[in-house]
Order: sequence, then C-alpha cells, then structure tokens
Amino acid sequence: MSSADSSGARTVLDRAADRMLDAGVLERVGIAIASTTLALLIGLGIVAMSGYNPALFANQLIIGAIGSEAAMARTLRLSTLFILTGVAVAVAFRAGVFNIGVQGQFIVGGIATVMPIVWLAPLLPSGPIGGVTLIVIGTTSGIIAGGLYAALPGALKAYAGANEIITTIMLNFIAIGIVGWLVMGWFQDPNAPSTRTEQLPEYVGFPQIVFSSSSFSIIGLGITIAVVILVAIVIERTGFGYDMVTSGHQQSAATYSGVDAKRTIVATMTFSGMVAGLAGAIFVIMITGNFTNPDGISTYGFDAIAVSLLAANNPIGVIPAGLLFGGLDSAGSHIQIHSDVPAQMIDGIVGLVVLFVAAPELFRMAAARTGLGGDDR
Amino acid sequence: MTTSNAPPAVQLEGITKRFGDVVANDEVDLTLEQGSIHALLGENGSGKTTLMSVLYGLYDQNEGTITVNGEEQTFNSPRDAMSVGVGMIHQHFQLVEPMTVLQNIILGHEPTENGLIDESVARDEIEDICSRYGFSIDEELDTQIRDLDLGDRQRVEIVKTLYRGAEILIFDEPTAVLTPQEVEGLIDLLNDLADAGHSMIFISHKLDEALTAADDITVLRDGESVGTVKAADTTEQDLARMMVGREVMFDRQSREPTSGEPVLEANEVHVRDDRDIEKVSGVDLTVRSGEILGIAGVQGNGQTELVEGCTGLRSLESGSVRFAGEDVTEMSRRQRIEEGIAYIPEDRQTEGLVQDYSLVRNALLGNQTIEPYVNDGVIDWTAVREHAEDIIEEFNVRPPNADAEAASLSGGNQQKFIVGREIGHDPDLIFASHPTRGVDIGSIEFIHNRLLELRENGLAIVVVSSKLEEIQKLSDRIAVMYEGEFIDIVDPDNVTEEQLGLLMAGQRLENEGELSEQESKGGAQA
Amino acid sequence: MSVASYTSQRRVQIGTLGLVVLIPLIAVGIETSLFTYGFLNRSLAVASPIAIAAIGGLYAEKSGVFNIGLEGFMIFGALTAAVTMFGLGGSSPGQGYIWIALVASVLVTVILSAIFAVLLIRYKADQIVAGLAVWFIGLGFAPVIATLIWGRRSSGGLSSINNVVVPGLAEIPVIGPIFFDQSPLILLTFVFVAVSWLFLYRTQYGYWIQAAGENPEALDTAGIDVNRVRYAATIFSGAMAGLAGAVLLAHLGSFNASGDTTVDGRGWLGIVAYLFGNYNPIGAALAALLFGGLDMISVQLQTLGINLSSRIVNLVPYVIVVVVLTVWGKTQMPSSVGDPYESED
Repeated sequence: MSSADSSGARTVLDRAADRMLDAGVLERVGIAIASTTLALLIGLGIVAMSGYNPALFANQLIIGAIGSEAAMARTLRLSTLFILTGVAVAVAFRAGVFNIGVQGQFIVGGIATVMPIVWLAPLLPSGPIGGVTLIVIGTTSGIIAGGLYAALPGALKAYAGANEIITTIMLNFIAIGIVGWLVMGWFQDPNAPSTRTEQLPEYVGFPQIVFSSSSFSIIGLGITIAVVILVAIVIERTGFGYDMVTSGHQQSAATYSGVDAKRTIVATMTFSGMVAGLAGAIFVIMITGNFTNPDGISTYGFDAIAVSLLAANNPIGVIPAGLLFGGLDSAGSHIQIHSDVPAQMIDGIVGLVVLFVAAPELFRMAAARTGLGGDDR
Repeated sequence: MTTSNAPPAVQLEGITKRFGDVVANDEVDLTLEQGSIHALLGENGSGKTTLMSVLYGLYDQNEGTITVNGEEQTFNSPRDAMSVGVGMIHQHFQLVEPMTVLQNIILGHEPTENGLIDESVARDEIEDICSRYGFSIDEELDTQIRDLDLGDRQRVEIVKTLYRGAEILIFDEPTAVLTPQEVEGLIDLLNDLADAGHSMIFISHKLDEALTAADDITVLRDGESVGTVKAADTTEQDLARMMVGREVMFDRQSREPTSGEPVLEANEVHVRDDRDIEKVSGVDLTVRSGEILGIAGVQGNGQTELVEGCTGLRSLESGSVRFAGEDVTEMSRRQRIEEGIAYIPEDRQTEGLVQDYSLVRNALLGNQTIEPYVNDGVIDWTAVREHAEDIIEEFNVRPPNADAEAASLSGGNQQKFIVGREIGHDPDLIFASHPTRGVDIGSIEFIHNRLLELRENGLAIVVVSSKLEEIQKLSDRIAVMYEGEFIDIVDPDNVTEEQLGLLMAGQRLENEGELSEQESKGGAQA
Repeated sequence: MSVASYTSQRRVQIGTLGLVVLIPLIAVGIETSLFTYGFLNRSLAVASPIAIAAIGGLYAEKSGVFNIGLEGFMIFGALTAAVTMFGLGGSSPGQGYIWIALVASVLVTVILSAIFAVLLIRYKADQIVAGLAVWFIGLGFAPVIATLIWGRRSSGGLSSINNVVVPGLAEIPVIGPIFFDQSPLILLTFVFVAVSWLFLYRTQYGYWIQAAGENPEALDTAGIDVNRVRYAATIFSGAMAGLAGAVLLAHLGSFNASGDTTVDGRGWLGIVAYLFGNYNPIGAALAALLFGGLDMISVQLQTLGINLSSRIVNLVPYVIVVVVLTVWGKTQMPSSVGDPYESED
C-alpha cells in the first residue's frame, strides 16, 4: 500500500510492465481491437468534419491496404518493417527497459548496412555469390551497429543511472543529425541528383518471388517471421529470456534469483537494438537500395512502440499488429495519391491508437459499465 | 485517570468490516476513556489496523457505530475524523522526505498571508506545542525529513497530528521501528500526553509494552474482540493466552553442540547500505555444519546487510567470506547459488516470489542455471513443473495448484513454497531471514521443524529474526547484533530474554564472563 | 534555508558545470565579439518557449505525473496560434490578434490536456505511452489541419510580435537592449519564471504539488485531494506547453507542419531543461537559455566566418543531456512519479 518508498522511474516501468502483462490474452485482443476501432472511428469523424466523405475514405483505406497486388506488396513491405521494429521494442519492454530509441538504432543499422556494401562491392565479384556475401556482410554490420547504438543507453542506464527514456530519445535526435550530416557530406553520392548515398549494386537484393515488386520480397518477410519466432523462443524458453522477463516484472526478485540487473539491462538493450539494426538492414537491402537524409525516413521506430503495445509486447502478437500498421500506412500512401484527404490523417489515427492502447482501463471500465467483459478485476 | 462525568473519548460498538468474503473485524466493541491510554493487542492479521482505520475514516465499516465524545459520527475520510479531533500516527510515516520538518507539520494546514506561507506563525505554534510536551524537534524544524532517524520522524508525525488539533491519537505499532531506549521515551511521552488530557489508542503485538504503557488493554484475535482488561489486573501470561488462544510454548530442546566443519567463515566484514552508510562494521562469524546460528537484534542494526553481503546480493566494503573453505567474496549471487548457498529472503513479497508469476514459473526463480531445470541455457518447463508440484506436495502448499499465481496464496503458503524451493537446491548453507514473519502458527511449526531437520542432516544454517522466542528455540548459538557489530555471542540455554533484550539495546553483559566469552574492543566473534 | 537546502547541492553542481562550459566560451566570445546583444536576444527568443514548456512540465512531474507529451501540446499550441491569427487577420494579422492567438492556444490546450489528464489519472493510462501518443497525434493532425486551412503544410508568413521599446531607457547600455527594447513575451517569461518559483516554494499549493509527487499518502492524510492537485498540475503543464508553442509562433511568425513541424523538438528540450535544472523553475529557465545560446551559436559563428555545420551544433544540447544524465546519474525525480494514486476509501 505504501507507494512512498518505491523509486520513481522504476515504478513507472514496473507498472507499465504489470499492466501490459497482466491482462488475459482475450482481454488483450479485445483492447487492441477496441483501440483500433475507436481510433478509426474518430479518424472517420474528423474526415467527415473536414468536409470529406468518410465512406469514400474508408473505402480508400481498404483499397489502399489490400485492393491490388501492388497494394498487398506495399502493405507487406511496410509490415515487415513494423514487425521487426515492433519486436525490437517488445523485447525491451518485456524486460522493463523503455527503449524509445528504436528509430535511431534503425537508422544507424541502415547506414551501417549500406556503407560497407558500397565500399566492398568493387572488391568482390558481381553476381549472386557476391550479392549474398555483401548482403551477409552488410546485414551483420547493420545488426552490430544497431546493437551497439542501443547498448550505449543500456550501459548508461545500468552503470550511471541515466534514465533510458530520455537518453534514447536524445540518441534518436543525435543519430538523425549525425547520419544526416554524413549523408550530406562524406557519404553522399556526388553523381546523385538528390541527397543520398551511392546506390547498392543491382545484384545486392532479395529475389522477387510471388510478388513482382522491386521493393518487397517474400524473403524479407520470411526472415522477419523467422526472427519473430527466434525472439519468442529466447523469451519463453531460455534462462536468459526468463532473466529478462523477470527483471521486467519484479526487479528485486530477479536480483534475488541471481540476475545481474546491470548486465541484463545492457544485454536487453543490445538484443533490442540488434533487431532494430536488422530492420534497418532489410529496409535498405529490400526497399531503398541506398540511404537518404534520415529526416525524411518514416518514423517506423516510433510507430513500433504502438505496434508492440498493441501486441501487449508479445513477439508473436507483433505479427498481426505489424500487419495492421502496414495496412494503415500503405493505405496512407494510396490516399496521398488518390484522395484529397491529407495522408497524415493516418499518422494521427495511429497516434490515437497509441493513446487508447495506453489506457486499457478505459475499455475495462467501459466494458464493465456496459456489462460486456464481465469477469474482470 | 478517568474523568468521572465526561462521556468516553471513543466508543466503538459492533464494528464489522468485511473485505469481500474476508471478515477483518467481527462486531468489535472498544471504549477509550478520556485521558487514558488504551492498548489494542493482537497478532499480525488479527484485525487491529483495520479497526483503527475504520475509526480514522480510512475504511467505512459495514456495521456498527462510532461515537466520539458522546456524539455518533460517520467518517467518510480521514479529514472527517480529524475534524472531531481523531488523528492517526501511521506505522509507515506519512512524511515527505525532501521537505523540511516544518513544511511537513503544516502540510495541508498552512498559515498564509497574502497567499504566501507565513512560516513565522507556523514556527511559533509548533514551538508552543513542542515546549508543552517537551519535544526536542523544534531545533530541527528546517531539517529535511530524510536526514532524521526513525525516532525523530515519529516525533514529527506526533507533532504534526497535534498541530492539526488531534485530541484523540491512534498509534499504529509505534514501537516497531524504535530502539528500546526510544520505546521508553515514547512511553514517557504517551504518559505526558495523557496527563495533558489526550486520549490514546496504540496498536501493538508486544505484551510487555501493553502492560507498561496502557491503562486498558483490548485483545483482538481473528477479527474478534477477546475482551478488555485493566493493565493493572493482568499478566503477560494471561494476555498471551488471550492473543493466541493457547499457552505459548517458548520451550526449546537442549541439544548437543556440533563439531562439524566450518561451512561459512566471514572475516572482518564491512558492508554499506544503499545510502552508503556503513551498516556492518567488522563482523567475524563462523557457522559449522550441523549448526544453527541465530542472529538477534532490533531491526536495522545491520542484519539485512550482513546477510546480503554473505549471499552475494550486496558487495562487501571490505573483509572476506569463505564458503566450504573457498573464498567466495568476489563471486556473484548466481555463482553462490550454484555453489550451494540458499537464502530464504527477508521479503517474500518483493524478493522471494514474482507475485504475478504462477508457482511453476516461480519454481525456476534462482534455478535459472541449475540442471535439470535449465540445460545449456534452455529451460525444461516439464522438469520445472514437476519441481513445483513436488514442493507443493512435500510442503503442503495450499491451494495445491502449480498454475496458481503466487499473489493468490496466503503469506504462510507463500513462505512454505519459498522454503521448499530453497531447500530444493540441495544447499550446504541456508540463510533464513525472518523465516516465519507474518506466517500462521501451523506453518511456523512446520518451517521450524524443517530447519531443525536440516540441521540434523548436517547443514549450516543462519537464522535472522527479531522474535526472541524463535531465535531461542532454533539456535545453537545466538549472536546479538547492535549497530553493525556482534555485541555478544551467547548460549541460548544460559541466557534469559531479559539479558538478550539488554544486549539488543547495546548494553554489554558486564560481570558475566561465562556469557561473553570473547568480548574484545571490536565486538564478539561468532 | 529550506528551499536553499532543497536545491543547493544541485546548484553547486550545475554552477560548476555551467562555469566549466561558460568561462572558456565567454572568454573566446569577448575576444572575438561573438556575444552581441543581438545574439543574446536571439538566444532569449529561442529559450523563452523552451523555458515556459519546461516549467509546465516540471509542475506536472513534481505532482507525480510525467507529461512526456509536452512536444505534442506545443505543436497544438503553435498550430492554434497560427490558425487563430490567420482566421482573424488573414496573412497579415495585427498585433492585437497575436495576443488573442496566445489566449486561444492556452484555451485549446487546456481542453486537450484535460482529456489527457483524465486518461492518465482517472483511467490510469501509461504516462509514457500516452505522452508519446500526444506527440504522434500532433505530428499527424497538424499537417492535416494545415492542409485543410492553407491548402499546404505551411501557413506562409503571418505576423510576429513587435518589441516593446521604452524610449530613452532603451539607450541604457547592457540593460537597455535586454529589458527596454524587447519582445513583451520574453519579458513576460522573466516574470513567469519568477512567479512559478515563488508559487512552488512559497505557497501552500506549491507544497501540495511537491507532496503529491513525493508522498501522496502524506498529502491525502493531510486532507488534500491528491488527484485534484495532479489534475491541476497536468492541465497547467499542457496549457503552458500550448502557450510555449504560441510564443514560439509569435516570434517566428509562421507555422510549418512538415517533418517535426515548427516546434522541432523544443518540447523535448523543455523536458531536458527541467531535468537539467533539477526540477527548479529558475534552473530550468537557465538551462533553456543555455540551449537557446547553443542553438544560436552556429549562426553567430558563421557571421564570424567560422563554418560549423548547424546540423552538428544543434545536436549539442542532446549530447549534453546524455552526458549530464550520465555524470550525475539519477536526477532527483519525485519518488511517486508515474504511480496512479488511489485513496483507500
């Protein structure tokens, strides 16, 4: 009953973790659906108030998400990124570490994938063998860079007590600033018409199977699903995962059981950052083929927080949540071209989803009042 | 002390308070006479605090009436109770640590002038209260609470309550955090307050305090009032019988001293706490196989830090710890678990169990690197589940459901599960901190017997407890800890509770050479 | 004594670091005439919205609610101000409309932060996630609304606020250009900082705010409704962030909703400023001024012919924050931040 002696930030995290992990699976799904529905309804209301036709907008949403093969490919391409970044967030949140820096780690991972490939490409044979080698090297580099960039705030939290929420947000700004500066300077392709790095060679990319899209390959999605499963296994079936999750639930009990809290924080952040770095690698290899000014890159790493929360930080749950966000974002691109409604409407709706996901109590109380959910505490 | 004509200060009649299906108070009556001190006595969980929370307006009673100074009252909040002069001094002090004594006292009742706080008015009023009752805190009005010791904090709490105009004071276990000297000071203070016309109820589970301090004593058991007696007309034995419903057995079987190998040897151990204050100042101790060493002492004299230092939860400032002849000073907690040092922790709620994990998941706590539960880093959940079920069966954990959340178990059952799990490590050394705190009587016996059995099997055991009878019953030797040192090591067969009490208060037993074998300037060795 | 002791420890640290950073800078600055009144005034202009948002944020956090949504509320404040000015006066609104715009921004953000406060306090929403959501919503809907009103993401040029010039006094060296030929909003910021310090440490409401964040039970047992205090502080923080956005707009004179919008991280700097200022309004304002100075220094260096990428220089506050958090470790965060409080009855 005494809340006085609990230490501030820790409590924030503990409570967040508790709430996220407490609810039954059905309840979580219910809250996720309710949050999304409510956010969409409010979005449609705003569309209507702005003088547009909400029915048309809703229709455009669906067409934009799954209306054609191209739309499907675009949805899956975006979902791949949302799923990976979402898992990166989920890993950290499960361990009670608030990695808000996935966007920064994603960007660092991306540039760290592009540059080694650009530098090494002339030294290796072109063609499939060189391509695969370069992909492996680039991806490894991206994963390592993402991991290291996340390990930094992890270490600062563990060994200096620096609040990771603040430091990771700061490191996002720093990553965007420095990578932007590099891309406009040393790393810039002098022959390119716009600000970007050199293009990756043609043969560095995933083969096109099923979808004939230049920026989506089922291979990328396959890797993503494999990573999700791997992360789920690590969390549920390994001593390391148990240490991590226990730290997130109840730090004092974890310490009692022999978990080195500091090392676990660093390890968790590194793990999370590695997944974010991989997301960056897939972003450049599968989608862009180069790296542009990071100011202009969508905020996958922030939306990932919503994805993860929507999935109650469960890695498997991140897959449907990522698909939903991929669909929404994909519909946004469609609406941008085919509708007068500003496409940022989608971002606003995503913001509302996040807001509602943060307040599950809202739906619990509403459910209790309307006599829907019934059996809750 | 009773004023003849005035109505009683407080009259509680037929108070019933239920939490869901649990009846915390069952038709309890209590009468507090004007200007008297009334002790509310009972074991943990007997409903004392609930009853007082009803009186203080924190809980609404389901049935029954509250009458203050002859007028029936309905309290919806502490503020209502305060408005008729009922104030409570909580066990967990309601003080804001970074604010000063003065700011805390006037919080919520600040005198203001032109919208700004008028400190000088407040200062005068507080100094007035302090001089009336002989408090010494008026010199510390500008000190932050976090810089005060617990005794001073309690006095701030009392002054705060008086400042708010309380005539009737409720003290929730006021002596729990105090040293024996501070307890004496508190009792004097209570008497002064009573002489000045205040009426007081204090909650306690300590018989001697109730007898010394109170005029009347009401005993609660399982939420029901067993009766009210005059302190002058009763004895400790009577009170004890009322509290537990049977004679308390303080007996211990005398045992042969052991001559096993030393299992734990700690040398010149110094440990600092989280606030970097040295809590253990040079402790030497040796525990042999087949021996139980009891560590007695008032809470906060370094017992926690000593145990944490030995189990690897806290690094030593200096000194060394050897386990089975091997230096483990630099070993991590995890390595020490693997080596065979088990620990039944002081706080089962926050340390010993993850509250929202099932018992199966809790069975893995501390076993994350132990085969067969985890092999090469991969958890074998089947083996873990079997382990949980074994513990549940062997230790009679209720409900017998391995998938139950730890939080859903009663304190006693949680503790049995922890004891079972820690013994399950097959350790050579067990630290048991307050192994029966807040545990029902049946479980206490059970846990005691298990510890004694393990001793028979040749384990080395360290028991830390603030319950003297527990220490005396279990220990082969008793080390008394005071201000970070072992002030003495005594033989439980040749020491009285009074002598232990003196030691715990920091007074060495002079002229009793047979007890204090190795008294040196640094303290005793165990 | 009390307040001094509350902060003195930190002040020494802050002071030391401040000196370490500032002395060489000032020495170099004087040597190279880097520090001009223009530089100081531009720094103040950057600093004032950060300081206002920071003080709002620290009130909320002192009361136990971490309002991480300052950036979002600032976006709404700036947008409301721009829309109000445009609605009243088209593309060249008069000075009076600027003041009306400030009031409108506060009103709108009071409503938004009241909803936010209900979610946090009544519905116990996760403070961090809900705060981030406010930012996302701002980033999402600001361009939507801008497009609806202006047909593009930028408002184009509106008006910015004129300086208040006191003839004669403005000629006084040093003080003149700072106090007597200055934006009224910056002057009001000075007053606001002083008043908010006084309110926090010298009035009963200030005590209640502090107690609500440190030990809500103590406040509750003193008969004060903890959640009411928290509602007040949270709504105040949102309103002040809104005001900060409006002040920013009144100085810049246009709103741009692309990318991170015109607000561009200043709300985050507000959080950083109060952490840096150790939850003290005056400390937070000084930190804001430091960030303002850093923000302007690259421009100033360029006028001296030193070309440092503004992109890199603008990162300095963020780097400083990371370094400061690392060197000093935990800030003195109130102990019950993030804890929803439920009275036991």
